[in-house]
Amino acid sequence: MTHPALDWSARSQELAALLARAGLGDRKAFAQFYQRSAAQVFAVLLRIQRERALAEELLQEVYVSVWKAAGSFDAHQSQPMTWLTQIARNKAIDSLRRAQTQPQVVHLQSLGDEGDDDGPSALEQLSDDAAGPAQLLEQASDARQLQHCMQSLSGAQRQSVALAFYDGLSHAEVAEQLHQPLGTVKSWVRRALVSLRSCLERAVQREREGEAAHAQSAGYSRPRAA
Amino acid sequence: MDYAKPERADALAAQYVAGTLRGPARRRFEALLSSHPGLRGAVQRWQDRLLPLAAVLSPVQPPPRVWQAIQRRLWPAPATRPSAWRSLAWWRAATAFSLSAAIGLTFWLSAEGPAQAPVVVVLEATGAGLPDAPTGAQAAAPGRFVASFSADGRALVTRPLLPVTLAPERAFELWAVPPQGAPRSLGLISAQGLTVIKRAQLPQALLQGRTAALAVSVEPPGGSPTGAPTGPVVFAGKLQL
Repeated sequence: MTHPALDWSARSQELAALLARAGLGDRKAFAQFYQRSAAQVFAVLLRIQRERALAEELLQEVYVSVWKAAGSFDAHQSQPMTWLTQIARNKAIDSLRRAQTQPQVVHLQSLGDEGDDDGPSALEQLSDDAAGPAQLLEQASDARQLQHCMQSLSGAQRQSVALAFYDGLSHAEVAEQLHQPLGTVKSWVRRALVSLRSCLERAVQREREGEAAHAQSAGYSRPRAA
Repeated sequence: MDYAKPERADALAAQYVAGTLRGPARRRFEALLSSHPGLRGAVQRWQDRLLPLAAVLSPVQPPPRVWQAIQRRLWPAPATRPSAWRSLAWWRAATAFSLSAAIGLTFWLSAEGPAQAPVVVVLEATGAGLPDAPTGAQAAAPGRFVASFSADGRALVTRPLLPVTLAPERAFELWAVPPQGAPRSLGLISAQGLTVIKRAQLPQALLQGRTAALAVSVEPPGGSPTGAPTGPVVFAGKLQL
C-alpha cells in the first residue's frame, strides 16, 4: 500500500503552488502550506530532537525560515518536501549540540523495555507503526529505487546509515550504539553512501530508457537524481 | 580538506545530507555553500537521493500553539488606536492647517440666501490600508473621495471620485480632524455612491471652521467601537476653498 505521504506528484504540485503564493506574501496560502506539511516535518524533527518542547520550537523556526525564503524556492530544482525536510534536519542537527549532555541514542535492543528513569522509553517516543530505523526502511515502499538500493547494502552499512539519517546520530554515537570502532563505522557509512549513489544512478538510467518509449505523464517531472 | 576535488566534495555533500557531518566541519561546509555552486549541486543531488527516506515517518500533528506562535512572530498584531493616531498625527504635521479654509467655511456657514461656491475637499489615498494590512482593506490608490458642502448649506455630501475598493466586513467612516486633539466621527460613508450628512448631524467644530482636514478610516461594520479610528486611515484631505 502506498504511504499517502509518498504520492509525490499531486501533493508536491499543490505544495509548490502554495509555496509560490506564500513567496508573494499570501498568508492564507502559507497557512494551508503549514496545515499540509507541518505534521510530516514535526515527525522528522521529533526523531532527531526528542525533547518535545525543543522540537516545537524548531518547528516554529522551520516555518519562519520557510516564510522568509518562500520567494526563492525554485520548483524546477527541488520538491517542496525535500526542501522542507532539509531545512528541518539542519535545524534539528544544529539543536543537538546545544542540547543536554546525554546523547539521544536509541537502544534498538531494548525497545520493548520501559526505558530509563530519566524519561519515556524509546518505544513511547517513536511513531505508532515504526519500531526503529530498520523497519522504517522497509516501509519506504514507494521509494522503490531507494529501497532496492538500500537492500543491496550490507546489514551493517544499512543499519549505520539508518541510525545516522533517521535518528541524527553522529559517527561516534553510531559507533557507541553498535559497539564498533569509530573508524569501522565511518567506513561503513562512507561505503554505503557510495553504493547508494551508483545504485541509484543505474536505476535512474534504466528508468529513463524505459520512459523514452512512452509519453510523459501529465504535469509533474521528478527531479534529476544524477 | 580539498573541496576542489569533485569526489571529495561529493563525499562531504553526502555526509552533510545524511547527517554525519557534524560540528565545526559541518559549519564550515555550510558556510561554503553560498559561494560554491558545484557544492550546492552535489548537495541537491544527495538530497534528492536520501530525503525520500524521511517520507515514511508517520506524521505527528503539532499542537495549535505552534502555529499561533508562528503567526505572532511573522505578523505581529498592530496596535489599534495608537497606530491610527500615529498615521493621523504624521499626516497632520505634513499638511498645514489652512487658515483660508477656515475663513471660507465660516463664510459659507453664516451666509444664507444666494448659493455660495461649494467648498470641496478632495480626500486622496494616504497609502495606508495596503493589501497586507490586518484588516484586509485594499482602499489605497487609485481611489479618491470628494466631500463637498452643498451650496444651500444644508449638507455635507461625499462620493467616490475614482473607484474605491473596500474589503467585505468593513466600512468606511468619515472623521473631522481638528488641528489638535481627537478626530470627531461624521458617520459611515458609502464606498460606491453618495452619502448625505445633514447639517444638523455635523459637529460644531466642523461648522465653526475648527477643522483642519477630513479623513476616512476602515472600520468594522457599524463603525469604530471606540469612538476613535481603529483601522488604517486610507483617505485624507485638508480643507480648502
